[in-house]
Amino acid sequence: MSVRELLPTASPRAARRELWALARAHRGLALLTVVALVGAAAIGLVVPPLLGRLIDIVIDGGDSGELTAPAVLLAAAALAQGLLTGAGGALTARLGETILAVLRERVVERALSIPVAQLERAGTGDLLSRVSGDVAVVSQAVTLVFPAIARAGLTVGLTVVGLVVLDWRLALAALLAAPIQVLGLRWYLRSVVPIYRREREVQGERTQQLLDTVSGAATSRAFGLGDAREEHVRASSQEAVDVAMLGVAKVKRFLHALNGAELLGLSAVLVTGFALVDADAITVGTATAGALYFHRAFDPIGELLMFFDDLQEATTALARLIGVASIDPPAEPERPAIAGDGSVAVDAVHHGYVDGHPVLHGVDLRIGDGERVALIGTTGAGKTTLAKLIAGIHPPTRGDVRIGGARLEDLGPAGARRTVNLVTQEVHVFAGRLADDLRLARPDADDDALWAALERVDADGWVRSLPDGLQTIVGEGGHRLTPTQSQHLALARLVLRDPPVVLLDEATAEAGSAGARLLEDAAERALAGRTALVVAHRLTQAAAADRIVVLDAGRVVEQGAHDELLARGGSYARLWGAWSASRISAPADGRRRASSRPR
Amino acid sequence: MSDARDAGRVAPSDPQRAGAQLLRTVVGAERRRVAGAAAGSIVHQACEALVPVMIGVVIDRAVAPGDGGALALWLVVLAALFVVLTVAYRVQLGVGMLAREQSEHALRMRLTRRILDPAGIVAGGPLAPADTVGSAGALVNVAGSDARETAQGIQGVVVAIGAVAALTISAVALLTISLPLGLLILLGTPPVVIALALIARPLERRSAVQQARAAEAASVASDLVRGIRVLKGIGAEPAAAARYRRASQTAKRATLRAAVSDNVLEGANVVIGGAFLALVAYVGGRLALDGSITIGDLVAAVGLTQFLLGPLQRIGWALGLLAQARGSAGRAATVLAVPPAVHGGTAALPATAAGALSVRGLSLGHGNGVSFEAAAGEQLGIVAPDPSDAARLLDLLARRRDPDAGGFAVDGIDVPALPVADAHRLLLVADHHADLFEGSVEQNLTAAVSNEDRLSAARRRAVLAASGADEAVAALPDGAATTVGERGARLSGGQRQRIALARALAADPPVLVLHDPTTAVDAATEARIADGVTALRHDRTTIVVATSPALLATCERVLLLEDGRIAEVGRHEELADASPRYREAVLR
Repeated sequence: MSVRELLPTASPRAARRELWALARAHRGLALLTVVALVGAAAIGLVVPPLLGRLIDIVIDGGDSGELTAPAVLLAAAALAQGLLTGAGGALTARLGETILAVLRERVVERALSIPVAQLERAGTGDLLSRVSGDVAVVSQAVTLVFPAIARAGLTVGLTVVGLVVLDWRLALAALLAAPIQVLGLRWYLRSVVPIYRREREVQGERTQQLLDTVSGAATSRAFGLGDAREEHVRASSQEAVDVAMLGVAKVKRFLHALNGAELLGLSAVLVTGFALVDADAITVGTATAGALYFHRAFDPIGELLMFFDDLQEATTALARLIGVASIDPPAEPERPAIAGDGSVAVDAVHHGYVDGHPVLHGVDLRIGDGERVALIGTTGAGKTTLAKLIAGIHPPTRGDVRIGGARLEDLGPAGARRTVNLVTQEVHVFAGRLADDLRLARPDADDDALWAALERVDADGWVRSLPDGLQTIVGEGGHRLTPTQSQHLALARLVLRDPPVVLLDEATAEAGSAGARLLEDAAERALAGRTALVVAHRLTQAAAADRIVVLDAGRVVEQGAHDELLARGGSYARLWGAWSASRISAPADGRRRASSRPR
Repeated sequence: MSDARDAGRVAPSDPQRAGAQLLRTVVGAERRRVAGAAAGSIVHQACEALVPVMIGVVIDRAVAPGDGGALALWLVVLAALFVVLTVAYRVQLGVGMLAREQSEHALRMRLTRRILDPAGIVAGGPLAPADTVGSAGALVNVAGSDARETAQGIQGVVVAIGAVAALTISAVALLTISLPLGLLILLGTPPVVIALALIARPLERRSAVQQARAAEAASVASDLVRGIRVLKGIGAEPAAAARYRRASQTAKRATLRAAVSDNVLEGANVVIGGAFLALVAYVGGRLALDGSITIGDLVAAVGLTQFLLGPLQRIGWALGLLAQARGSAGRAATVLAVPPAVHGGTAALPATAAGALSVRGLSLGHGNGVSFEAAAGEQLGIVAPDPSDAARLLDLLARRRDPDAGGFAVDGIDVPALPVADAHRLLLVADHHADLFEGSVEQNLTAAVSNEDRLSAARRRAVLAASGADEAVAALPDGAATTVGERGARLSGGQRQRIALARALAADPPVLVLHDPTTAVDAATEARIADGVTALRHDRTTIVVATSPALLATCERVLLLEDGRIAEVGRHEELADASPRYREAVLR
């Protein structure tokens, strides 16, 4: 298991500050919510004194008609408390869900803006468990936990007030329970919070293992790796069990403290009541009301303290969400530069992912507006790295990349997104309607525009043959597309996106040799009229380009048109030799052949 | 064979029922711990119910008469009650949670084993092959969260048992105190429960809609994150964020509607509970005035009525938990019941194999079927201009699909008659899309090498050189110790492909089928790999399914596969000269 560099998690203080800022935006709603919740809890307070009054009437041997008034008041209190409880709950949910929606939307937005390098170090599993698992935990907290805590907290707080009003000495007796509860809770928070944090991390690791196992299931079967994969899942799942049980062990100790506090408080109230009744300071009814007050608070106190469990879990999840939400989005320059045209200039670019392991050593490259350049070289020569630097996915360690005369940093993220796009061999079909997948590239495109893009890359045929055409549900849980179709879709997105500069990094390789041809044709049509840098292994694709750049060990060693390079007899000529030798009768002029190829 | 397949296709007709059945199995497997936790829950609830009774007793026997001795005595009894209460709670929690966690783990492992089963998962349907784009997430969700929610059913069972016990004990206590008061509460409770259930039912439906919407928003988010590199490539992050925002707003509206319903229920709970309390207090008060019951009895009755609301609500909560568990168990059961893609036999694997492959009338779904032989140690090329022909042939050879007609044998042993896992050891198909696993290059390389015949240093060097992986490894920061990242994402496509090839060569099967093993490497490397593989496997049978001339040129014979049959046979040069169709397929 590799060591991951997890994404940031907000400190408790930062999380509180952020939450406060979010809540402040809805001050009116928050105030109304508090009023309803306090009102509901306050009305609940009249119940024990009314019951006490009833008992006193009985002890005094009063008339049965006297019982009517407290009983009616009890029923009225129930009605009012019910109304306010309902309103308070609904308002709490509205407040919480409104804030949560803002937060989760920001989390996803920031998650999508995380630099690829950072994402690769953290693992997609970490991000996945935040946008799905943590959001679910916080939602649950907002709709269930938070309202319950608010209600219970207010009930407990106001019970103390009620006891004070009833008789301050009874209140004092009840408060004997408080030190145990406070100390217990502090101990619990100190020892359990880290366990919850750990639990969520372990669960993220487990999700990662499951993802790896499920997506590699075919390979596992072929190579008989099932047992090893199963062992990985077992280890991570077992660790999740162990961490959870560690948490349970702490909770058990905490429970004893709670029950102890209940016993102590109740006994104290009863003894005090006994003494006060003995001294004729209060009636039996008042003593009873005091005991009932305290007993009524059992459940809310237990709920409050036990919900701290969920609250802590939610707080941990929230800290992880806010950690992602607080990642600064890549800053837009104040006055973004505009790319003059689609030309690309790479000046003295050095780059390495690990210190001491440079991948590119001072690469210079010029691509004219509308020019098609093929980038070739042995694997590991740095072709993908160069493409990523031009696409702005990584900033170069040293040197400049300019598009249309403007430095990438000056274009700003938004400008760079509009100007230069990269399609690699990694495919993903976004779940949902096929039309919605395409509209990720251009949200305002109408169906005609979508069809036009599909026709442009020659994908309209198979899309029309899908069960519901453009409306077919594709991706996860929907109609399955082949890898070739998925990459075809990627090229259609590119056409819709319509950037002046395009980088294709082996975009056609993964489809297999037969599919690769289809995709090469599609790519050629998608690239028409754009500046393009194509990382290619199939030299026919290279030969069709305006210019070929040969990269070797991080340096440009040759560049020029196909014929020039062949004539020069350098490394390209050697590569071409190896390629055409294996293709025996392939004509020497690959370029003419490739461009005159029938569609 | 076809009988077995038909039997295998009998999927659970009703996921609801299959879910309930699986849930029973899950709970049943932990029945001792569940019973222990339920016992703890019963005792705990009984003690909780007795606390208000004890308050009544203390008021009645000690406070009202002013009897100090009685106060001391009953406080000791109260303390003893709390000791039992807290120990019982400890048992319920500890044993119950262990049961839940263990069964969650056990179910997850069962699902993982099913997913990894050599027999595979039948194509089609929502849970189909994990090797198709887009289905991984659904399976991960089932093995992840559905396993968890199914196991939560255990909590539902324990809590429900405890709540029923609490109700029973309260009822007995109330009947003992006063028959009319007890009857009032016992006969009054069912209408209260029914009223609450009637209010709750439509609300639960709304809440289900809300859950579905929330799940939708969550799956949109996960899907976008999974495709994040693709999104970033075309600069579609803002559009993706906007799409999530729409899903999130839909979820928010559904949540708010459900919250209104939930809170109507919550409010109704308070009103009904409070009104009930008022009624009991009034009737109890009159009975106490009559002298039919004591003050202590009245206090206990009122306390019990307050207490009763708790178990009543918990029963509802537990039923909700069980319904959710049943739904999740239904999805888990569907995965467990997915028919296998292939049905293996029980034939024994030979100790050694020369590797003579014989394919007879193997149907590719059209045409007359494919028949060919590869002698032991031969290197045979297969060119399939139609990629679906190649895919079907590879699916058959890799035992991802049972043959409809015809068969194939190695050294005369019918491969489909072998257990599926053994078949791979005799005939290994190295797919074009080969996944690497997180870990070091070295771990990936030796993953398929069994412990008995560990990769010797010389063999390791030979394998690395033949696959061109030596150069790839040399270019990595930590050499073979470099971690490859999830699914090999930290490597370039060419590095991944060569390490996957090295892994297949290291496994050293008697028959190795390579599919397009060099699409992501440059021409010079490809030529080196072609020679390297030929030399390394000179005494082993190797089938190369590809259209790369470099690879085909080193094959002793090449077959042209067209229209579901073998159309041409010959050496690469011969076919390139004589067959226009071959030229069109290969030399472009």
